Parts: sequence; structure tokens; C-alpha cells
Amino acid sequence: MKLEKLNPSVKMLVVLIAVIMLSFQYLVFLNLTVFAAAILMLLFFSDARLPKIAALLVPAFIAAFGLFMMGLYYTRGSSILALPPPDAAMEGIAAVPYMVRAAMARNLYSALQLSTRLLAFAGMGILFALTTPGEDFVLSLMHQCHLPPKFAYGILAAVNLMPSMVREFRQVRTAHEVRGIHAGPLSMKVLFTMLVNSIHWSEAEAMAMESKGFFADAPRTFHKVMRVRWYDLVFALAFLGSLAAMMILVKY
Amino acid sequence: MSNEPALSMEDVVFRFYEHGKRNILDHVSLSIEPEKLTVIMGSSGCGKSTLAAVAAGLYPENGGFLIQGKISLFGHPVEDMDPRTRAAYLSLLFQNPDLQFCMDTLRKELYFCMENMCMPPDEMEEKAREAARRMGVLPLLDRPLHTLSGGEKQRASLCCLALLGSRCIVLDEAFANLDEAAARSLVRQVAAMKEQGITVIAIDHQLELWREAADEIIVLGEGARVLQRGITRENLSSYMPLFLAEGLSYPEESPKKEPFGAGQEMAVSFSHVTVPAEVIKKRFKKPQFGRILLSDVTTGFPKGRMTAILGESGSGKTTALMAILKNHTYTGSICVNGRDIAGMTKRELFHQAGIVFQNPANQFITQNVEQEVRCSVLAWNRGCPEEEAGRITEAALRAYGLWQHRRYSPYMLSQGQQRRLAVLSVLSGGQRILFLDEPTYGQDHKSTHAIMQQLYEKTRREGLTVIFITHDQGLADRWADHIVWLKDRKFIPEPQGEGQHGA
Repeated sequence: MKLEKLNPSVKMLVVLIAVIMLSFQYLVFLNLTVFAAAILMLLFFSDARLPKIAALLVPAFIAAFGLFMMGLYYTRGSSILALPPPDAAMEGIAAVPYMVRAAMARNLYSALQLSTRLLAFAGMGILFALTTPGEDFVLSLMHQCHLPPKFAYGILAAVNLMPSMVREFRQVRTAHEVRGIHAGPLSMKVLFTMLVNSIHWSEAEAMAMESKGFFADAPRTFHKVMRVRWYDLVFALAFLGSLAAMMILVKY
Repeated sequence: MSNEPALSMEDVVFRFYEHGKRNILDHVSLSIEPEKLTVIMGSSGCGKSTLAAVAAGLYPENGGFLIQGKISLFGHPVEDMDPRTRAAYLSLLFQNPDLQFCMDTLRKELYFCMENMCMPPDEMEEKAREAARRMGVLPLLDRPLHTLSGGEKQRASLCCLALLGSRCIVLDEAFANLDEAAARSLVRQVAAMKEQGITVIAIDHQLELWREAADEIIVLGEGARVLQRGITRENLSSYMPLFLAEGLSYPEESPKKEPFGAGQEMAVSFSHVTVPAEVIKKRFKKPQFGRILLSDVTTGFPKGRMTAILGESGSGKTTALMAILKNHTYTGSICVNGRDIAGMTKRELFHQAGIVFQNPANQFITQNVEQEVRCSVLAWNRGCPEEEAGRITEAALRAYGLWQHRRYSPYMLSQGQQRRLAVLSVLSGGQRILFLDEPTYGQDHKSTHAIMQQLYEKTRREGLTVIFITHDQGLADRWADHIVWLKDRKFIPEPQGEGQHGA
């Protein structure tokens, strides 16, 4: 049983509910458990590769560390920067005045709460992102969440146009450089040209789709229908159920 | 039923602005016989593509106003149909192969088409395979569409149209950007579809390509009004003056070629150059070259001459140019005007060499034609006084016949004018080398040849070097002093002879 097989809409709903549940509690242990569970599930029940997971985790850890340091210094109205500065005559931890050390100890727990919560959110986000093919997600949004086909196929067409857009973007940049204009990756002139092109493309793309018989409000058949099956419900109940059980257990 | 015209238009007037004066289709009356291959020709800007979109009902639904007139497909008025019904009668193949797919593989695109037509899902797999087999695209079914060549994409699109079961297909300059071999094989395929009872309307300006296959050729003039119809293979030669006058064909004789000998100075020279299609980077590993496009090439492009680079689509012509412009990885050494580009900054390089891409609109940086040139003059001549720049700009615009459009936005010019403006603005810093990527793209022979004539004179008069990529052998034969083919990862000089000037 792979995570990729689960219905994307159900998976999204489970992740959203779990995020909301975690938002209302301050349990470091629970946050870490959720994070670890997400990574373990990715490693053992999906086709996601370790390097990919690691690459996505790096920014999550940096953000978590930043949040941790901020929590350590500023929470609960007692910013340690407002306290007396370290005494230059002493060395090491002894140099830090007692008041600062006390404030840091008080802040440590809330800093941990914030940063581990961020890790838990990141873990679940990665769990969803790495196990959900974009096309299945859009199809599932159309079938389970009643996204109109007009938008669903529009999104798919735009996504599939990305390789062409990247190529075009490079060409536009070269074309500008040849004119003696320095064109950085976010140059407004280049982006303006790309905007003009995108409008032309979307028109052409819409006409091509219509010429193939696509019509926003017309009935249509589907080759692949994303369905909600029994194992989707089992996954949802197991994931959210164990989360709720742990919240109760850890608290009392 | 079968003697109803496949497409009939009666006194159709169509324009983009409801209260505008300019009618794109100006009282057009036209009827196309079913189960024939009809070629519609006309100079660029005459409204032939708009005609196709109006016939398919895509306009006015997606823009513009149908002021008057009746359009019917096989006897049924087009305005009463929804897109699905219309697709059963008529569907379009467009010019830009990149902009007609909604999904990422042909198989899924075929499913998309069948879903639109409400076919039962359990038959889809079989039908897709059957259609792909019939159209000879089985090997393409599961390859990502963006990795296919232009010809393969058009073949894939044609497969979609065949699967939709449209009784009439319209090709809107669909083969204009393909190399000759690919275009010819697609024309054969289309002719075979006609034999199976499908009406084919080909809108194009390549007479040679369709000459054998066409049952009838119709020439359109201003406002897409019919100038002449009933042209067939047999009586074609008597209409040649008309084709010449409309810029649809051009006289055979070419200007004087100048051969070059061993002592010729080179504008661009390659020494042991290898160019990969892409560099594959993997974590913790040394980057590796993907498919090799050029391998260990040593060659030169002569100074003050016109050189054409021919080759199949996807053979790496554009990529080779990008390498010369320091925008693509290569190994070996490339010299421009005798200096290795590895030792030049991009600014130094671009002060000597410029490029105009397929879509000239990509390089416009200002909101009007005059500023466009002035901006370039100032960019390359720092500290040049305003009046001086103004004077240079005016002289240049007059020389290129764009002075009367100086207040227009560059985007409002026709494709031919846009390309002329792009050439002008790229050369306004005194660049001595010009690269052109597919100068025929999106315009007719008349505009293309006007530009080539201008550049030809510049090479003779001012010693400009022009290197152009094209799929059009006729264009290369006519204008290039020197033709090279990119084949099997090498530049191969074309054997000269066959009545051409040269050694």
C-alpha cells in the first residue's frame, strides 16, 4: 500500500485537519512524533526518494531554527535584550547575568513549542506534496471538490506549458541582453514581455482546446475518475484518530 | 447530403473592434467542396487565419464581432452549434505546435479529446491505440509532448483531429515552421486522409509544398476576399503573375554569390567545439553532458558574407547559436572576430554580434518605435549627446522604411515590420555580425525577401556578416553565399554547383 494510491482530496483534508488540531495545543513531544511519523511514512510507504525529502527538509529546519532563536529571545514579553548586558570581567555562561539565564530557561520551552510545531507542519506538507502527482490532484479536485472542468483543464494546460515557458524566458533574456540591456532573472522588462506572450499563448491554447471540442459547461465522460475508496477512509480515521489519542494521552 | 459544401460563407463581415473601420473579413463569400483538398493562399495580414477561426466558430466566441453574413458547415449554420458539435464537422491544426496540447502526453491528449466528445471511457484505450497506429504515431504515445520535435508534435495533433472524427480539417499554416522533409511527409499523410473522405482546407503560403496534392488553389486578397479560384496543377503556370504580384512566389534568379577562398577572414570560427543538448546535474556527482548536438566541430563562418545553416528540426541549430552568444555550455573554443569569447564579457560580445529570434516581439523594450532604436543607440554609445542619437535614429528608421510608424507601439506593427525593427535595433550599436533564427517565421515571402535583400546589400556595402538558420532550402539557395548543413553532429558544407555561382 503506497501513499500515492490515496485519494488526493482525502489526503489534503486529513493534512488540513491535522494542522488545525496541532494549532490548538503546545506539546513538543507530539509535534516531534507527528514530524517523525510523516518522514517515516514517506520513507517506507511511498516512492519519494531520500535526497528529495532531504532537500525539502533543509529550508524547514532553517525556518524552525530561526523560530527557535526568536522564541528564545523574545517570547512572553520578556525580551532578554532589555536586560542588563553581560559582565565583561567574567567568562562563559557565568558571564551571562542570572536574570538573562532565568528568562532564557523560561523561554526555552515556548521556543521549542513553536519550532517543533513548524517542523510538524513541514513534515505533513512534504508528505502531501511528494506523494501527490499534480494531475491526480487536479482531477480529484474536479471529482471530489466540484472544481469546474474549465479551471481544472486550464490549470493542467498551464502546467504542461511550463517547459515551453522556461525556454521562451531564456530566449527573451538573451534577446534583451543582445540589446545591451542587463536582464536579471526578475527584470521588469523581461517579465513584461513574458506577460504579453502569456496572453497570446492563453488565447491560442483556449482556441486549440475549443477546436478539439472542449466546452466549459458541456457534459463529458472521464477516462480516469479519482474515487474515494475504503482505504482512504481507513487512512483518514487512523491518522486523525491516533493524533487525537496521542493528544489526550500526552496531556493527562 | 454529400453535395452540400463543406464550408460556405455568404457575405461575411468580421472585425475585431465593433465600431472600428477596418474589416478583417470584408464581405467574404466562399464555398469549399467536400472531400477535396483545397489550398487557400494569400499574403500575410490578408486575414486568412482569421477566416479559419471564424469558419470554426472560434471567433467571434473568443473575440471580435461578426457584423453580418452566414457561415455553415455541411449545410448547418455554425452559430447554432456548441463546440462539441462543431468539432465533429470541423477542427483546426494551428501554426504553433507548442500551443495546442492540454495534457502532457499524446495518450492523455487523445483521452481528453474523447472525453470532450463524450465517448464511453472503457473504449478509450483501444481507440487511442488504433488511431495512433493508423496515423503512425504509436511510438510517440507515452513520450512527454514537450520533448517531441515540431514535426512530431504536428503529427500528434493530426492524430487528435483524426480521432475526433471531424469531417473537415483546416490547417492554419500548420507546416510553416517544419523542415522540408517533415512538411512533405505530413502533406502526404493529409492527402491520404482526404482519400478516406475527409475534407482538407490548407491555409498556407508555400506553393511548392502543396502543388502536387492540391485539388484546387484559392488566392485571397485584401480583406480575405477571393481574388482567384479554380487554380489547379494543370493551369497553375498561367497564374504565376498573380502569385508574384501577391508575394506568394518569387522569381528564380538569385543575386550574385561570392565564393571565398582559403585566405578568407572568418567572423566566427569554431575549433574542436562540442555542444550538448543539456547538462545533467546530479547531487554529489560531476555534471554530465546529455545528448550531444555538435561534436568536435572545427569550422568557420566567413566575414562579410551570408551563411545559411540548414538542418532538421531538433538537430541543434538554435542551440549552436546560443553557444556562440555565451548562453549555452560548450567545450573547445569559439572565436568571434578573432577573439576567444571565453575571454570576453557578454557586453563586449554583444557589441560585436546580435541576434534576432523567431518571435521579434520578444526583444522590444520600449513603448514606441522611435524610442526602441534610440534606446539601443544610447545603450551602446555611452555619453552620446541626445541630438546626435536622435539624428542617427531618424536616419536608420528612414533607411528601413519605418519612419512613418515612429509613434506606434512596436507590438502594433505587422510581423514583417517587427522583424525589420528588431534587426535595426540589434544592429544600431554598430554590430558587425547578425544572427537570424528562422527569419521566415510568421511572415510571407514578400516580407522575408525584403529583409534579406536589405541585409544582402549591407553585407556587400558595409561588410556585415549574416548567419541565418532556416528550414527553407529555397531561401538559403537564393540568399546565402555559403550553406552548411548541421547533420550527424557536424557542420557539413553544401556541395556547390547545380548552376550556382561558386567554385
